[in-house]
Amino acid sequence: MRRSLGAKIMVTTLAASLATSLVAACGSDSGDDGPIELTFWSWAPEIEQVVDAWNADNPDIKVTLSKQAGGGDIVTKLLTANQAGNPPDLAQVEYQSLPTLVSNDVLADIADLAGDAQSAFAEGVWQQVTLGTDAVYAIPQDAGPMMLYYRADLFEQFGLTVPTTWNEFAQTARDLRAQTTDHYLTTFSANDPGWFAGLAQQAGAAWWAIDGEAWRVTVDDPATRQVAEFWGGLVTEDVVDDQPMYTPEWNQALNDGTLLAWPSAIWGPGVLAGNAADTEGRWEMAPLPQWTAGANVTGNWGGSSTGVTEKSPHREAAVKFATWMNTDPAATELLVRESAIYPAARDAQTGPALADPPAFFANQPDFYALAQEIADTAAGFTWGPNVNVTYQTYMDSFAAAITDGTPFVDAVAAMQTATVGDMRDNGFSIAE
Amino acid sequence: MPVAVRTRSGGRRGRRTAVPYVFLTPAVALFVLTFLLPIGYAVYLSLRKVQVSGLGLGRGSRTEVFAGLANYRAALADPTLLTGALRVFGYGALLVPVMLGLALLFALLLDRPRVGLQRVSRIAIFLPYAVPAVIASLLWGFLYLPATSPLNDTLDWLGGPQPDLLGTGTVFYAVVNIALWGGVGFNMIVLFTALRAIPPELYESARIDGCSELQIAWRIKIPLLTPALVMTTVFTMIATLQVFSEPMTLRPLTNSISSTWTPLMKIYRDAFATDDRYAAAATSVIVALVTLVLSFGFLRLVQRRAFGQER
Amino acid sequence: MATAHPQPAAATTRRRPHRPRPHRPRPQLVPTIVLLTGAVYCLLPVAWVLVAATKSGSSLFSTFTFAPGDALFANIAELSAYRGGQFWRWVANTALYAGVGALASAALSGLSGYTLAKYDFVGRSAIFNTLLAGVLVPGVILAVPQYLLLAKIGLADTYWSVLLPSIISPYGIYLARIYAAAAVPDTVIEAARTDGAGEFRIFRQVAVPMMIPGLITVFLFQFVAIWNNFLLPFIMLADDNKFPVTLGLYTLLNQGSTTPALYSLVITGSLLSIIPLVALFLSLQRYWRIDLLSGSIKA
Repeated sequence: MRRSLGAKIMVTTLAASLATSLVAACGSDSGDDGPIELTFWSWAPEIEQVVDAWNADNPDIKVTLSKQAGGGDIVTKLLTANQAGNPPDLAQVEYQSLPTLVSNDVLADIADLAGDAQSAFAEGVWQQVTLGTDAVYAIPQDAGPMMLYYRADLFEQFGLTVPTTWNEFAQTARDLRAQTTDHYLTTFSANDPGWFAGLAQQAGAAWWAIDGEAWRVTVDDPATRQVAEFWGGLVTEDVVDDQPMYTPEWNQALNDGTLLAWPSAIWGPGVLAGNAADTEGRWEMAPLPQWTAGANVTGNWGGSSTGVTEKSPHREAAVKFATWMNTDPAATELLVRESAIYPAARDAQTGPALADPPAFFANQPDFYALAQEIADTAAGFTWGPNVNVTYQTYMDSFAAAITDGTPFVDAVAAMQTATVGDMRDNGFSIAE
Repeated sequence: MPVAVRTRSGGRRGRRTAVPYVFLTPAVALFVLTFLLPIGYAVYLSLRKVQVSGLGLGRGSRTEVFAGLANYRAALADPTLLTGALRVFGYGALLVPVMLGLALLFALLLDRPRVGLQRVSRIAIFLPYAVPAVIASLLWGFLYLPATSPLNDTLDWLGGPQPDLLGTGTVFYAVVNIALWGGVGFNMIVLFTALRAIPPELYESARIDGCSELQIAWRIKIPLLTPALVMTTVFTMIATLQVFSEPMTLRPLTNSISSTWTPLMKIYRDAFATDDRYAAAATSVIVALVTLVLSFGFLRLVQRRAFGQER
Repeated sequence: MATAHPQPAAATTRRRPHRPRPHRPRPQLVPTIVLLTGAVYCLLPVAWVLVAATKSGSSLFSTFTFAPGDALFANIAELSAYRGGQFWRWVANTALYAGVGALASAALSGLSGYTLAKYDFVGRSAIFNTLLAGVLVPGVILAVPQYLLLAKIGLADTYWSVLLPSIISPYGIYLARIYAAAAVPDTVIEAARTDGAGEFRIFRQVAVPMMIPGLITVFLFQFVAIWNNFLLPFIMLADDNKFPVTLGLYTLLNQGSTTPALYSLVITGSLLSIIPLVALFLSLQRYWRIDLLSGSIKA
């Protein structure tokens, strides 16, 4: 084995820390004297800068960051760690995971400690962390309002106009395909349930609702069916592609213009810059097409919050850090600049860090002004306790619908059946 | 070479002594800790389920209760488990002979004299085993997806058709190919090391007598390799019955693979995606039992050839 | 398949012995081609890793898949800069897990395999079969119970949590048993016993040298298995400074759909991760050339 000197030193250090951690693991850490030590699980890129800034100014509360894999993986680890009794003090959790975590007694109710943070956030955003109750389960960090990104240069080349309604969108797709079979307007991805959920939100869908002491589950409400039928029609007509996103092929399509548009969310520029850096400056952003002309609604795709765990022995310190990170102007500026997220805090949305457009969209100076307008129109949404089941069923049933050529509304019906069935199995009260 | 047959010569070995137990204690202790206890816990979990009251959001509204065989019934009633199992059997029927046949072929070729580029081939065939699975999705995405695949590019340049390697009909073979590519090196090394254990005098004399390499391989080496071959087959069978990571790596790339494409994927989905550990435990007990029956059944079938044959 | 062969195929004892060739024989064509085809088939995807690691992020998805780039060192530099060199910390961790784990595993498997092969005692086949049956249980289902168990003893999120489950390897024990049975003749053991050696001394000084090729194989396989293992460290470790390379790269790749995946870094990291394995394999190859001592066939 190759061993550099550096690696040798590393190994010695590690052996020492192995011994120390063995000792530390057996004892419990209470941190009575000396600084309070908090552990924080997160996946946002460069968030260590925010943590470092806090540690520099707050020597009595030391936050140790541990970068985890994002999305559903961190939820699984939180659940198992909580069951074993050693979860972190703070964790970055997406909004749709909150009910699952609350239901498993992972997150603490911090209403008494964080109540005054409410004024910093819009109503729809704050509702996602209260789950419609009086409790507060997390501090919102970022939001993901959806908008449309499109290749302005290719639109010009093919003589297309930016669609403002979904009917226009369908027509644009057809116009493009009539001119060339080498390009699609966009793709429908059966692998990204959050994307579909955001589109459904825009149409007015409400998959879960709390009705007194019971859940009301309507994954197959008319709004969702409308969205499914619309996209199913486009896929059947072969005017949009049917391949999943975030694959090498999709990345290549963004690069070489095979796909002209991407219904995405506010964090889109970061992904585009990472996957298609050479197309910088050729994209533009517009609001999502609407279902009725003149309307002004959008949905949310992604967005995360900072939760404090129930088992944390330093709840007050943890809430202090979480609130600072998500509302303090200095912190949110770092979040925007370094982690490239769109802050949920209203002041930060109009703050100095968002005065200039993202580098990738330097050709659109009013990018963030337009984005803020769009963000204000984001529909609220109540997430249920088994979002994972719904999402997994989405992936399986829509993929099958695409390969079998069956209607997309059937896939939505499958999602409804699976969600209700799973909740019933586990004993949740379901309102009829 | 026969594995465990040796003559009993009596003496100390036949007497009762604590030495073997002492020697085996570390392995047994670790095995109990890392296998038996977790398996026991998994079996225990398979008989439990979660029961929630009301909205399920308040403190303590979620309890674990005894569920009897409900999880097993639900698992067996799931149609995707059966289709997944049948798919896995077909997958194994294709993969095991091809992979072991190739591994045997390469091992034999590496063991004979006068074959060029042996060292290069040996390391090259071993290399797939060294590639970390974390980039498997990326790697096979690039090689299989039509837009980035060099195969498609080459065929396009030659004017040929553009195959869809990840379509519903072809994705099965795409998965087999990944497993074959990743596993042939491992099995080749095992068989090669077993070949190395055969004393060369055995076939030197045959060579001098004028046997061709092919005959030596067929008449001498392969029969001596039979125990290793049998056990390698068993382990490969077990691994293919538990196939999981190869289809998982292709899943985000295509619409042709569902989350329950194989039984192990269903278990993974239950355990890690939908956080239903109880269903996962029940399904894995079922899968483990089936694997046990099949592999020990196979062993019993070839037992005489594996362990009983004398030279 | 037909091979070009200087000797006629039929073998009879009445044939005159083949005269030894004065010069080094030329390699045969067909077997070489077969091996070469296998080598190319196996190497092609690995070549992709190499080529992709030379591309910068922006050219990864915009150039022909096998067209090399020129950004290899830039990628390595960027990877090393991530979080102040955390990648190299991951490499050191992996070396620890794999090195120590595989060594301990080879030793344990050797001892256990030897015991199972050379001693006859009550419960021998029961223990062996139970150990083998461990292979039947998919790691996916063992992961969470193992974590909960180790958390109960307070070992979760420590180096031991990854090492302990890595040391026990049913397959390694099986391999070692085969080796011990084939390579260590009973006569030699008996001779040592009559000389008055203790059992463990016999194992250490008589059996182990004979079992070296098999133990090397076990070591190599366990090393690679631990090096590339993902699920176990994923569930066991929370502190990302203890991550092995596989897990660390996975977090770089899976930062959620809202953040760009660091493709180039991950591919470069994977390439760097393959190199020590290749080096290890090359350095261990010579052990497979050692012919076994007595070469006795069991009668």
